[in-house]
Amino acid sequence: MMLARAAADFYWMGRYLERAEQTARLLDHQLNRLVDTPARELAHGWRVLYEAVGLAPPSVPGDADEAEAFLIADAYTLAGALVEDETRSNSIISQWAHARENAKQLRPWLPVPVWTSLNRGYLWMRDSDFAAAWALGPPTLVRDAIDRLRQLAGVADAMMPRDDAWRFLELGRFVERIQHHAVLLDTWDALGPLPGASTSLWWGDLLRVCGAYEFYCRSRSMVVRRESVLAFLVRNPELPRSLRFAVHRIGELLSGIDPAGARYPLAPPQRMALHLAAAVEMDPHGDESRREGDGGADGGDSFGTLLRDSLTLHDLVMAAYVDYPVEEGLPS
Amino acid sequence: MPDSIATSLDERFGDQPRTCAAGSGAFAHYELDPGIYDEMFHRDGSPRSACRRLGDMLARASPEDLAALQDGVARRFLHEGITFTVLGRAEMSEHIIPIDCVPRVLSAQEWDHVDRGLRQRITALNLFLEDIYHEGRSLRDGVVPADLVLGCPQYRAQMRGLRVPHGAYVSVCGTDVVRTGDGFAVLEDNLRVPSGVSYMLACRAAMKQAYPRLYRAHGVREIAGYPEDLYATLASLGSWGRTPRVAVLTPGRYNSAYYEHAFLAGEMGAMLAEGRDLVVHDAVLYVRTVAGLKRIDVVYRRIDDDFLDPVTFREDSVLGVPGLFEAYRAGNVVIANAPGTGVADDKAVYAYVPGIIRYFLDEEPILANVETHFCREPDGLAYTIDHIEDLVVKEVGGSGGYGMLVGCHASASERGEFIARLRADPANYISQPVLALSRAGCFVDGRLEPRHVDLRPFVLRGRDEIRIAPGGLCRVALRKGGLVVNSSQGGGCKDLWILRGEGEEGETER
Repeated sequence: MMLARAAADFYWMGRYLERAEQTARLLDHQLNRLVDTPARELAHGWRVLYEAVGLAPPSVPGDADEAEAFLIADAYTLAGALVEDETRSNSIISQWAHARENAKQLRPWLPVPVWTSLNRGYLWMRDSDFAAAWALGPPTLVRDAIDRLRQLAGVADAMMPRDDAWRFLELGRFVERIQHHAVLLDTWDALGPLPGASTSLWWGDLLRVCGAYEFYCRSRSMVVRRESVLAFLVRNPELPRSLRFAVHRIGELLSGIDPAGARYPLAPPQRMALHLAAAVEMDPHGDESRREGDGGADGGDSFGTLLRDSLTLHDLVMAAYVDYPVEEGLPS
Repeated sequence: MPDSIATSLDERFGDQPRTCAAGSGAFAHYELDPGIYDEMFHRDGSPRSACRRLGDMLARASPEDLAALQDGVARRFLHEGITFTVLGRAEMSEHIIPIDCVPRVLSAQEWDHVDRGLRQRITALNLFLEDIYHEGRSLRDGVVPADLVLGCPQYRAQMRGLRVPHGAYVSVCGTDVVRTGDGFAVLEDNLRVPSGVSYMLACRAAMKQAYPRLYRAHGVREIAGYPEDLYATLASLGSWGRTPRVAVLTPGRYNSAYYEHAFLAGEMGAMLAEGRDLVVHDAVLYVRTVAGLKRIDVVYRRIDDDFLDPVTFREDSVLGVPGLFEAYRAGNVVIANAPGTGVADDKAVYAYVPGIIRYFLDEEPILANVETHFCREPDGLAYTIDHIEDLVVKEVGGSGGYGMLVGCHASASERGEFIARLRADPANYISQPVLALSRAGCFVDGRLEPRHVDLRPFVLRGRDEIRIAPGGLCRVALRKGGLVVNSSQGGGCKDLWILRGEGEEGETER
């Protein structure tokens, strides 16, 4: 029997941890490019990164030489803001802290090793010296953060029973994943590679950010083009970071939380989950038979629609399981 | 925990014996004070029999060993988030409770005395509470002045005439016990929402890991069953014909004891609920779950009476549950501890507890009280003002080390300020002599030294059984010479080992 508020805390804990990892993955990718990427492409990368995490992109001087100097000097600041700035809600440390605050309220439900892993990770991050880690190599701290987040996910996977606590944790994770990916794919597609830059590198980078590059090459081909990549990231059923995978998991989790809600007449969250599943199936980005130039707006605003629908799903979940009126909750 | 150091230190327990003695070897800085009872050593510096094994092991340890052990124990608390919150200091909102790596040891005989005294005390106090909310015989017979009880802010008129299941007003009690040269005495009874039991269990878990072999060799009585006993106690308070559903009612994560609330709920398999999670409908208490509202049978409340129910008590409370008292009065839910128990742990009523024991049980108190002066009485006020340097002055309703003055440690201006407060509201204060609290061995600043300690055992009283965990929260004033042991005032804690007692020799002071 899951306390409604605790369910909400698990849900938000899942969201914050997912958000922290998404930010870290994007940042890791960008920091790895510092060594050998031209300044204007780096600037473009920062723009994509900042927009994907919901921040205003940094302004970069127009002059190429100035931009070069600015970007090398300022990568530290731009990265630091996303790693250690506790005043920014989007920073990794803030998201970790939020997850920890949620977890504090969940200790009766949370296996001790899960709490300890989360707490130790947060304390490590809080006590890390970003400047010192930067001196060892810009991506060092971010990579360590990713490792610790994955370790935490592994401990949770190994230790938590598959009850409602687990389901709400996972539900938060996958709702966040859909929202983040809808924004990321939309931003990546909308901004596109700079004129003259390698298209295949651009789309290959998106696969790398999503942890899908090797799997893509293995299961599809080494030919990396926009339509194939978007179709892969939208519809592949075996890729944990595809939209289809996330939507499918959401449906499964909701059915576990409320088996009656998955029967007709469907409960509102289940109805929306089905709607999302259908939207992903029908998403024109998932049709890789399209060719580049078949129409720039071929996907329309489908990612935006998906984002709005997932926000609605969030509201429906809260209304159905957390904030329901007393009269509706009374035993019959 | 630095396993290698802990293990090697612990393993050396089996090595050549090295006799410990205060003032020599590892205990070179351990200064005994003839006026203060020492838990570890006799006055002649030889170890007490219950402490000999521990002392011998410590005598073999280097300061580096102990520092590593202390660090490991503290790190364990940090990683597990065993914390408390200091009131009114937002910048220090979350603290790891300081733990000392040297356990305090009591013999079976010593514990037996304390145990019997605690059983006697909780029995008498429950009878007293039932009486003052019903017949009031003890008030008519002058056992306790009626105006002291009826005028006490913790007296709840709403409880008058209300039958509490099995007379269990106080189901969970944390009694502060101190030892002086005269033996054990009760410093105060905590009958409302006593805290600290989670730290007791955490200290024990840390010590078991730190000294596995030594722990086994000592034959220490186990305390791990406390959460099970607590659940059994709470469940025994009603007859539901099914497994009762228990909720731990917490003010929330900003409360100083939130860690403990979460810990106990988790260990008992109970709901950790805030007021906003609970709702009363038709005088039945429900909790909001993801599958709708579910009935709650027992509330183990960890919030004060005032905040329990804004309809019945403080109307501005946002922590409680509107209508909770109505559900309680209707017999649809049990609240433990019952509302109104605070009247019996008021610091003024405390002075009458020996009389309460004699009146209700016709027995002499097993555990002594500390001499108490009432500032509400002119003589008591005059004595307190005249001797303030030798007294501890306390607010009658205060707790947690707040609202008190230790005369000998206060400056002249602090004493003057406190005297002004006494004169302005004398009924709000009592005074007691500064006690020479016993001292136990601690590892402080890289060496073994004695520090003042107290002890809070936890007593459970259910339908027809009293359960006492053989141990308690041993609080320690880590500051040299300090007497205030509250964690909110810079105190720490240490494990308390109660020995099973086989083959123990009798103890006489040397």
